[in-house]
Amino acid sequence: MKVNTIEILKLNDKELVELSRKSVLSLSLVEMKEVQKYFRNIKRNPTDVELETIAQTWSEHCKHKTLTGNIEYCEEINGKKKVTKYKNLLKETIFNATMKLNKDWCISVFKDNAGIIDFDKTNGVAFKVETHNHPSALEPYGGSATGIGGVIRDILGVGLGAKPLANTDVFCFGLPDTKASEVPEGMHHPKRIAKGVVSGVRDYGNRMGIPTVNGGVFFDKGYMANPLVYCGTMGIIPKNMSEKEVKPGDLVLVVGGRTGRDGIHGATFSSVELDKESDVSAVQIGNPIVEKKVLDTMLKARDLKLYRAVTDCGAGGLSSAAGELGEKTGLVIQLENVPLKYKGLAPWEIWISEAQERMVFAVPPKNKNKILNLFKKENVEATFIGKFTNDGKLLLKYGNEVVANMEMSFLHGGVPKPTRKAVWKQKTIKKQSPVKVSAKTLQEDIKKVLADINVCSRDWIIRQYDHEVQGQTVVKPLQGSSITNLGPQDAAVIWPYTVVKGTKKGIVLSNGINPEYGKIDTYKMTASSIEEAMRNAVCVGADPEKISLLDNFCWGNPNKPEILGSLVRAAQAAYDLSLGYGVPFISGKDSLYNEYTIDGKTYSIPPAFLVSSMSVIEDVNKTVTMDLKDIGNDVYLLGITNNELGGSVYSKIKNIKSGIVPDVNVKVSKDLMKKLHKAIMEGLVESCHDCSEGGFITAVSEMAFAGDKGIKIDADAIKTGEKMTLAETVFSESNTRFIVEVNPQNSKEFEKIFKGHVFSKIGTITDDKNLLLVSEKSKISIKENIKNLQKAWQKTLQW
Amino acid sequence: MIFEIEIKTKKGFVDPQGLHTVSDISGIGIKDITDVSYVAVYRISGDITSKQADIVAKELLSDKITEDYTIKQYKSLDDKILEKNSIEVWYKHGVTDTVSESVVKAIKDLGIKEELVVKTGKKYCLKGKNIDDKKLKKIATGLLANTLIQEYLIK
Repeated sequence: MKVNTIEILKLNDKELVELSRKSVLSLSLVEMKEVQKYFRNIKRNPTDVELETIAQTWSEHCKHKTLTGNIEYCEEINGKKKVTKYKNLLKETIFNATMKLNKDWCISVFKDNAGIIDFDKTNGVAFKVETHNHPSALEPYGGSATGIGGVIRDILGVGLGAKPLANTDVFCFGLPDTKASEVPEGMHHPKRIAKGVVSGVRDYGNRMGIPTVNGGVFFDKGYMANPLVYCGTMGIIPKNMSEKEVKPGDLVLVVGGRTGRDGIHGATFSSVELDKESDVSAVQIGNPIVEKKVLDTMLKARDLKLYRAVTDCGAGGLSSAAGELGEKTGLVIQLENVPLKYKGLAPWEIWISEAQERMVFAVPPKNKNKILNLFKKENVEATFIGKFTNDGKLLLKYGNEVVANMEMSFLHGGVPKPTRKAVWKQKTIKKQSPVKVSAKTLQEDIKKVLADINVCSRDWIIRQYDHEVQGQTVVKPLQGSSITNLGPQDAAVIWPYTVVKGTKKGIVLSNGINPEYGKIDTYKMTASSIEEAMRNAVCVGADPEKISLLDNFCWGNPNKPEILGSLVRAAQAAYDLSLGYGVPFISGKDSLYNEYTIDGKTYSIPPAFLVSSMSVIEDVNKTVTMDLKDIGNDVYLLGITNNELGGSVYSKIKNIKSGIVPDVNVKVSKDLMKKLHKAIMEGLVESCHDCSEGGFITAVSEMAFAGDKGIKIDADAIKTGEKMTLAETVFSESNTRFIVEVNPQNSKEFEKIFKGHVFSKIGTITDDKNLLLVSEKSKISIKENIKNLQKAWQKTLQW
Repeated sequence: MIFEIEIKTKKGFVDPQGLHTVSDISGIGIKDITDVSYVAVYRISGDITSKQADIVAKELLSDKITEDYTIKQYKSLDDKILEKNSIEVWYKHGVTDTVSESVVKAIKDLGIKEELVVKTGKKYCLKGKNIDDKKLKKIATGLLANTLIQEYLIK
């Protein structure tokens, strides 16, 4: 097998840059010079294997150079400039908040493939959300399938391996009605991408036997050439298996799929902007059947304690997986032992291939035969390929030939820290001029908002996914009084009774995302997304003080100071809210360079900050769903409605250009959620739904048609922060608002709990199946059949 | 020898992939395609007899109740004649084809020990007015084949 030595010692700056570009290494000049320095010191040129290994290990995808690098951030408010220097943005914001909160129920945070929190005395639950954006742009079906496959392996690779219980998925796509002529050459139409991505997640998730229980879809023209595909998996793990430890002498075992040319340069590729000639071999194809066998068998091996550490092969392939496990010890690998799909792979290709469905284990020599036999019995391919050492070196051999020999310390600690500039300038944002509409227009607008692509029913997607396999999904993505009456459930609840016998506890999963707000202000977007994820969890019965969060940044090119500035603002918001609420982030991920250039024109995505939440609840019997339950019950609106139409769905359909983006008052919000939780635990709440996209009227409509009940609403009873028109009141997207159904017998007790907060009784459930909205002050009365509202909501997304 | 085993839904049963394709074609703005029938194609190259190919088609690849199969035999693919108004989609060389990997394994399990190469393809037979090359090409590239990893064949 041919190994090439690459001339690097004699190269000048220009030639170094050219080498990086030509070989798709995605290393900057500073980094290339660091590499050159290292090899000058050891007085030889690197092999192609060594250079590729460095490129993979130092890639943005694996090392998160931007978020952990130096950032000089300049903030300008009212003409005054303030400069803040970050040495490691992630550590100083999100991670710092987690450390300060120091919750005793956090078991493993920010150090493994997923975050782990307490479930009960003996078990923990792990959660991870990943992105797979670039591959999904090129091959939507394969890209999203390997996205979900990859995050499932993250859960298998946390600690000594968790058992996956549920998947989540959140997508951002271009507008489905985009004209074909507007789609850049060589790219797929947004609708084709959306369909492909959905079927990829469906086929992989369903075949793995893991329910997809929660998610979201956001459409915006800014994602036309660069969709966002977030895939998440939650799993359960015995607490005493949440740590891994590699010892020198342990053997390296690779299990699962064979290695081919799939996804060569996937990690470095995710750090380049997409263009027409993007690398063909960056596409990976998944095989869920193989992964399902790996899952089942490795959990048996785990329980028999046959290995000491495990991790998954993700970006960077064996290079990253084995490299990470051997970072502290050292490693020797015989590359010719890696099982291949076909002949002809060069050693460097074997080492960095991103072929799917592979896991790497550290096995004590005494268990060598036991573990091999176990995998063999279940028809899973498992092969020993090397050994962990104690010399701190990465030694790769092909037969007798040494093809790489480097210090682990250089590989993992040698990457130079870049310094980037970030700027943010406060913009003056004005309120819109008062929005006055007639009763007729308002009635039409309610249906238009319900039918909006970002509000409408996702049942076409949800019903392709098996969200009930394993039989533990007790609160489902669609809830309602029958199979035809349904509404969007805020959060999913999993009751893991098959794993933890006799338990009443459950796990709540939810998420929050709203890039529309980020177009105006990424601080408020992040704050709103965090609150939305928490609101969704609290709605079903989660304790707001026991929620854990995951962050996922998808941003444009961080080399542009304005874009990096908006990212710093988001990180600051995450820090402020995490501390303010006392909810820690336990894991996260970032995907940068979501930018696309064609014909010299750059399209950058609208920044997106996805917050995923996981929390453990004591008793699944106490959970609440969003559909209205009984005629005669009272309906309350908790929280204040402010004039906040900035970035709202209503502003979009009415083409209103100005408007304030919803803010979060953490102190009020925290206390209100705590009290709502108390009310739910005391059994005072029949149904509960939060106000988000589309505002109050959208949420209340959803509750009505999901429960197949009418409702009479006194719009004048809605408490507003200032004088607002009726349209502004019902469509405002102010945060910290919940609509709650209460039995009149409990009203007194319910009201007592919320003393000191802004709330009001706004309506009653009726038996006539109409939504009746009355405002005497505005002299407007609207009556609309709830079936018509449901039709409007359900018709848009039925492909 | 090369065998191409084609699996098609029997008359009287619903062909969901075909139906979806019809609606997807109208979704990309191409009118007048009234019917599509979907055919799964398995290309098996290697040293097997036509009798063995028949066993594979009957016992492994088709469902006796809802599907029909036909077997085409070629000495070389150059002899293959494409059907009119049809689009075939095949993975490009080197792209992982997980279904073919399973088929190879399953053929061995049937007791056929010869070394075989299997590729999987999809064939869409279109009916409608004014079908021409331009239209077929548009359907192939805009909908059925991702040319990054797949190639398409039209007559």
